[in-house]
Amino acid sequence: MITTEGLTRRFGPLTAIDQLDLDLPAGGVVGLVGPNGSGKSTLIRMLLGLVTPSEGSATVLGERIDDPTAYAGQVGALIENPAFVPGLSARANLASLAALRGLPRTRVEEVLETVGLAGRGSEPVRRFSLGMKQRLGIAAALLPDPALLVLDEPTNGLDPAGIVEIRGLLQQLGAEGRTVVVSSHLMSEIESICSYVVVIRFGVLVFAGPIAELMAHATTSVEVAPELGSDRQALSDALAHEGWQVTPHGELALRVDAGEDDAASINRHAAEAGFTLRALSVHRDSLETVFLAMTGRDDGELAAARGAALLSDTDREVAR
Amino acid sequence: MIRVVRSELLRLRRRSVLFGWFGLVVMFAVLINFVMFNVVDETGAPPADGPGVSFPSAAALLAPEGIVAGLGAAASFLGVVTLAFWALASASDYSTGLVRIIVAAEPRRWRLLLGKWIALAIVTAATCLAALAVNVAVSPVAAQAGGFSPDAWGTDMPAVALEAVGQLYLSLLVWGSIGLALATLTRSAGVAIGVGVGYVLLVEAVISAVASDIGDWLPGSILTALAQGGNDAVSFAAASASGGLYVAAAIGAAWFTFQRRDITD
Repeated sequence: MITTEGLTRRFGPLTAIDQLDLDLPAGGVVGLVGPNGSGKSTLIRMLLGLVTPSEGSATVLGERIDDPTAYAGQVGALIENPAFVPGLSARANLASLAALRGLPRTRVEEVLETVGLAGRGSEPVRRFSLGMKQRLGIAAALLPDPALLVLDEPTNGLDPAGIVEIRGLLQQLGAEGRTVVVSSHLMSEIESICSYVVVIRFGVLVFAGPIAELMAHATTSVEVAPELGSDRQALSDALAHEGWQVTPHGELALRVDAGEDDAASINRHAAEAGFTLRALSVHRDSLETVFLAMTGRDDGELAAARGAALLSDTDREVAR
Repeated sequence: MIRVVRSELLRLRRRSVLFGWFGLVVMFAVLINFVMFNVVDETGAPPADGPGVSFPSAAALLAPEGIVAGLGAAASFLGVVTLAFWALASASDYSTGLVRIIVAAEPRRWRLLLGKWIALAIVTAATCLAALAVNVAVSPVAAQAGGFSPDAWGTDMPAVALEAVGQLYLSLLVWGSIGLALATLTRSAGVAIGVGVGYVLLVEAVISAVASDIGDWLPGSILTALAQGGNDAVSFAAASASGGLYVAAAIGAAWFTFQRRDITD
């Protein structure tokens, strides 16, 4: 579906994308994640023919990106913010884009219906909320009935119900056999809708694979709290005596480095040692925790501002 | 190509563009007629030209072509309006971010540029016809108010009108092309319009005042000569050739920039 080989883009001294090798599978929802300034937008723009690579090659839908005309008709995109003529109605904006692609006007009504804007099509876009503009941007991306849909922060500005609705739509599109590439900062979003994930940091590929494989990096722990706070140390000693690594957690609880399968055993040992547990829960690292462990806690843009030299010499090596 | 033109025309159909563009053209067409017939002395030499304005002689106003003389006299004003709206239509693609959606949908950028040029040329043709209609309606009233007799007007009216509007159209296409090129180069309507208007009203006016020989061949003067079908300083053939060169240079610069530039807006 999308392949890249040594894909590189430099902007002066800054290398936005550095020797990127990717092979994304066809079908399903792919998450593209990375800190701010990690090169996600540059990668998307190169794939869409908006930015020329400095080095390397790539294909989209089997066609080389140096001839985007070959695949542009099968690709829909929402790049960064939704872009429309504010003084025109939603319908007129879509009609203009449909005309550019040689699509019938009926397609405009279909996509307005799909994103829930059928009743608002006649209103000028300048009156739209951010969420409605976002829906319209997705509608514009859906116009060509694309085999590949590339969406940058698709749920930005939507209310909770809208987020659930759009996530459902994206999953449905992926299930229909389309490839939906979603670039997002929301790890919960990526975790909930993507089957495959690509992690980029400072333009370097950190991870690409099924999300389950990424989550194999997640660690699990069991949190326990004795009924009486004064028993915490004694409980800690008792569990440590059984071979578990135990650390204090919060004011009253303990964190035991153990898997979900050990939870019952921990409970039993605590009871045998004479402690009644007030709480016991299994905690698994979220995608966000795994992501931060992989990419670091720095704001990517701030790190980039520290200087291109630092990026090339140190951080890039760390990212590798 | 037809797809691109249709798409551009649909985007140009917004009220702010049409009311603004046609409104300014109509306003200048009315204004120039009343000013022109009042400041030109029926018995004396033509008054000094102002920035962006070139008044005909009294004899020219009394001739059959006098009914449409306002089109030529206001050519620079109408040209600046055209430059502004071509620049606005081009630069707004960058300011709204629409350019990234458009280029992703139609990666052949030369088609996008040419399609935009054709669409704007179509709207410009409509503005020329509007200017002609207003001019023909207003000039008899303005002439009588200024003490000019329109008796000779009406002779061979269709040919006179067609010639005047054709000449105006050619000059406006050059103005528009310059606006499109400036907007493509700067990606800012404000900068493009500022440069265009500032040049005509200030730079060229100053150069013309200091060195009239050179001033006759500067864009504003050339395009006024083109709109007037040639004048004492520059023949129509020379003005047409120069205008053609300006269009070629403007479109060439816009194409070169648009084709090679990364779309990062």
